[in-house]
Amino acid sequence: MLEIKNLTKSYGDVLALDRFSLDLKKGEVLGLLGPNGAGKTTLISILSGTLGDFTGTASFLGRDLFADRSLKNRLGVVPQDMAFYDELSAMDNLLFWGGLYDVPRAELKKRAAELLELVELSARAREPVKNFSGGMKRRLNTAIGLLHRPDLLLLDEPTVGIDVQAKVSILDIIRSVGAAGTAVVFTTHQLAEVETTCSRIAIMDRGRVLAQGTLEELVRIVGERDVVEIAGEFAAAAFSEAVRDLAGARVELLSAADGLASLAVADTAEVPRIMDRLFRRQLAVTDMKIKTPNLETVFLKLTGRSLRD
Amino acid sequence: MRTVKRVLHVAGNDLRLMVGDKAFFFWSLVFPMLFIVLFGLVFKSSGGAPAVAELTVVNLDEGRWAAYFLDKIKSPTVELKVVGAEPAEYNRLIVLPPDFSARIEARRAQALAFKKRENASAKAAARVETRLYQAIARVLGEIVLYGDGDLSKFLDGHAGFRDIVRVESRFPENTVTAVPSGFDHSIPGTTVQFIMMMVIIYGGVTVMEDRKKGVLARMLFSPLSKGELFQAKLLGRWGMGLVQAIILFVVGRILFKLDLGSAPLALLVIAVFSLAMAALSVFIGSLCRKEDLIIGLAVLLANIFAGLGGCWWPSEIVPPGVRTAAMASPAYWAMDALHKLRFFQGGAGDILLNLGILSALAAVLGAVAARAFKVRD
Repeated sequence: MLEIKNLTKSYGDVLALDRFSLDLKKGEVLGLLGPNGAGKTTLISILSGTLGDFTGTASFLGRDLFADRSLKNRLGVVPQDMAFYDELSAMDNLLFWGGLYDVPRAELKKRAAELLELVELSARAREPVKNFSGGMKRRLNTAIGLLHRPDLLLLDEPTVGIDVQAKVSILDIIRSVGAAGTAVVFTTHQLAEVETTCSRIAIMDRGRVLAQGTLEELVRIVGERDVVEIAGEFAAAAFSEAVRDLAGARVELLSAADGLASLAVADTAEVPRIMDRLFRRQLAVTDMKIKTPNLETVFLKLTGRSLRD
Repeated sequence: MRTVKRVLHVAGNDLRLMVGDKAFFFWSLVFPMLFIVLFGLVFKSSGGAPAVAELTVVNLDEGRWAAYFLDKIKSPTVELKVVGAEPAEYNRLIVLPPDFSARIEARRAQALAFKKRENASAKAAARVETRLYQAIARVLGEIVLYGDGDLSKFLDGHAGFRDIVRVESRFPENTVTAVPSGFDHSIPGTTVQFIMMMVIIYGGVTVMEDRKKGVLARMLFSPLSKGELFQAKLLGRWGMGLVQAIILFVVGRILFKLDLGSAPLALLVIAVFSLAMAALSVFIGSLCRKEDLIIGLAVLLANIFAGLGGCWWPSEIVPPGVRTAAMASPAYWAMDALHKLRFFQGGAGDILLNLGILSALAAVLGAVAARAFKVRD
């Protein structure tokens, strides 16, 4: 459905997108993760047609997204900004924004009512938006992007600055939109949102996709392992000796003073053997945890721990 | 077609937001009305003429020609009050000297003194003065036709010469016969001033706010192009000026009997002027990032242009140097055209230069605004 190839965009000397490429299928929900300045918003802006002076191509539904303006009728965008009219009611906002697309008026009214129902704003449809809470505004912001039943929906941090309930509601909407066959790309800093919402994850930094796939695929790609954390009273030398020669296990941390040790294992099936060795050598183990690599560990592994502006 | 529909959709929404704003009616109607009343009263005319204009005649003539002459002056709209000596108070007065008849009969020139009280109706004075000239022309005409005969015997017969001369007075073409009211100046003047102020403030601030909020950028997510979005914004602000003008003109017509001369041409002038101001508002809104700056600029520009351009007082009464400087103000070209239409009974041909200059200004400002127009900071 969407095929982006070698998209490159610079702001002066700063390379915001560096030969960025990505494919997206119908109904796929892609979470685009990246630290600040990774190029996420630049990508959304280029795809949505509000940013120029770039190179590369994007094919959408088999046509050139950047050349065929009619494709915008098939593309929905939810910006990070609450970009609508506070003075108007939710219904009037939907009718205004929907009026920019080739949607017949009667159908638009029906669609607006449906969406207000979907984002749970029907009861306050006629009230000026300026009276709405942040979460209600975010829901309206999302609904505007869905008015014309797009085949591709781009969302730029759609859950920023709202409470948990509103966040859950928006993520439910994204899931339902994807389930209905719309391809979705959404950018966020919230790793948990991506884990629970997306069928595919792309991690980008410095304008490039570093890795993409399901969470399991990403873990495999970056070579991240499960970690066995062991607490107890043991001498460092004795612990090292106990786990020496243990295939598929690697000591990551060993602090006898703190009574802590971490072992990276290729397979959690190794855990009973590790514990057996420790007990055989009569090391006093008081606690043991297995930590499975999550998106955060993958993300940090790929993008590093240094702070970004 | 869809493009035009989208442009009108955006422009219409801008107008709807403006009209829906409670402050709009205060700044576009209530506040301008205060200006209209203030300047309308300052420049009001001296009032209408009385139905019958009085003329006091100090008749000192010792002969019979004075009575004959006064008979010629009489009319339903001129009332003669004949006295023997100059009274202390009068509105208009003419003195017929003791030798009035003698000089006529001797065919000798003579001067008649006609006096007007300073604050008396100018219209009534003009009517009496016209009647006096008619009477003089008729008497002189009869004397000339009578030929070399004895004028002392003219009044004893010779009925054939009575009223043999008819005198008709006509104003030269395009002469103003009805004095325009002060409101005929103050309503267009205030309208032009407030179009400048409100279109720049409201139009500029909303362009800036929409850009900062991401509303303009969001519009480009739709099939609307940046050029079409600019046209829509220009159109919306043009509509703001027109709506304001129509409201003030209609209210002015109802409350103050506003006469624009030619209403369609006056609206055309306002339309072209509003277009120039709409372009200026988009330009200012695209450049500025703070509301205070736009308001400050708008108030400053609107007041300078209004004062200089003849919105507050007719530019015809200012010294020539100031009038030349006024040509730098867009308001001057609008007000000058409106004055030509109302005060000098002008037609389309008389305001072509004004329309041309305002159109050129709109085109230049439009081009500059289109270049400066941006959807993101």
